[in-house]
Amino acid sequence: MKERVAITGIGVVSPAGLKKETFWANLKRGNSFIDEITRFDASLYPSRIAGQVHELDHYSHLPSRLVKKIDVFSHMALVASEQALQDAKIDLEKVDKKRVGVFMGNAIGGWLFAETELRDMYIEGREGVSPYMASAWFPAAPQGQVTIYYGFKGYSKTVVCDKASSALALWYGAKIIDEGKNDYVLAGGMEAPITPYALLSSNTCGQLSKNNLMPKKAYKPYDLYRDGFVLAEGSGIVNLEKEEHAKKRGANIYGYLKGVGFSSDGYHYSRYSPSSESFEYAIEECLKDAGWAKKDIDYICLDAEATVMGDYLETQALKNVFGKELSHISLSAPKSMYGNLLGAQTALDLIVTLFSMNHNLVLPTINYEMNDPYCDLDYTPNVAKERKINKALLFSRGRGGINVVLAVEK
Amino acid sequence: MALKDDVVNAIADILDVNASELTENEKLYDSIGVDSTEMVELCVSLGKKFGIKIATNEITKSSTPLEITALVEKKKQ
Repeated sequence: MKERVAITGIGVVSPAGLKKETFWANLKRGNSFIDEITRFDASLYPSRIAGQVHELDHYSHLPSRLVKKIDVFSHMALVASEQALQDAKIDLEKVDKKRVGVFMGNAIGGWLFAETELRDMYIEGREGVSPYMASAWFPAAPQGQVTIYYGFKGYSKTVVCDKASSALALWYGAKIIDEGKNDYVLAGGMEAPITPYALLSSNTCGQLSKNNLMPKKAYKPYDLYRDGFVLAEGSGIVNLEKEEHAKKRGANIYGYLKGVGFSSDGYHYSRYSPSSESFEYAIEECLKDAGWAKKDIDYICLDAEATVMGDYLETQALKNVFGKELSHISLSAPKSMYGNLLGAQTALDLIVTLFSMNHNLVLPTINYEMNDPYCDLDYTPNVAKERKINKALLFSRGRGGINVVLAVEK
Repeated sequence: MALKDDVVNAIADILDVNASELTENEKLYDSIGVDSTEMVELCVSLGKKFGIKIATNEITKSSTPLEITALVEKKKQ
């Protein structure tokens, strides 16, 4: 990129808190926010635990006339966008709305709304379906709702590529800023998979933890007894603008998006390739794009699928790419505390990493108890560690081997 | 008069607006900025409430509460 793209506003809706201050304060303690699912009867599901967002309505100033027309994933995106805009101190009366865009990612769309309406369709016929269904369920709905609510007319896009969705959305948003097409971009992701059908289809992929008796201990990446990740819902949105633009208006800069690396395994529709070569290529490309040497990296926010193969392949890729340099790099998976937000996971990883940079603190990978001889790195187990972080990488892998690595700088 | 009040209250209830925002002679688009999906919702839900069938081309964004009341009255006969 020619220009430095600054992150000047943060909005977060997560199981660990619905404001950036609460989110950070809760995560520093190293507690788990995973619980048994309470939204519906999930007792017959193999995995029936999740990171859930409660009390969304308390944090929303949206009119009920709008809320009844949208799915919860759009609702969460609207709340997070409002926070990000306020945090960035953007005067919406003065901005040129033709130069404000929205780049957001999610993996599955708005199923809570869709499921209810589909049930009504089969019971009552086509007249039983709410007309709002047409604009509530599809993955681009949050982008539409945010742009309509604020009257933004700038170039906008929705990205769908499983768990790498928000990573790519963040990158495309930064690219649009770099190219000078927009002055501001709200970028990130949202996901609401805690619904009967979305949970069922996530269960069938076989990657969710079934440790239902101990929800808070269930998400244990890199541990010998890991048995998969735990679903979560939420949204992370950040405001992007050029460094020069941000400095001119006196905005607080949390950090910069610096580079990206992509690759595809081209191996299987849901499993990763048994070789980590393609993932390693994405990491190398990201380093090249950012212009960083391996020894420059201070921290890596891990993908942490918590499956036997997923964690092993991630560990292999780290070893193969960084070799001896790994001893200087802090690694962790803070999402072990609040769950995996699928398409929105990297948006929250970015927010966590920015806070870590600004507070000189690496958040831990919790529930790490037993060493796996095949995953033998220091993943910052259980307790946060003080450390100055200037340069960080965010790892994101979608099912079937969609690999995205982002470079973030303080 | 009673039917008109019922219709106004039903519109307010269906669209989640305050009944005081609706004026009997003002087009729905002018008073509450109704959109096209809300008009479909209105046709279906008013039909269910009053036990009639209203096609989506029978009331529009330009309809007023009085015109909608007249339509409901005619269909109920």
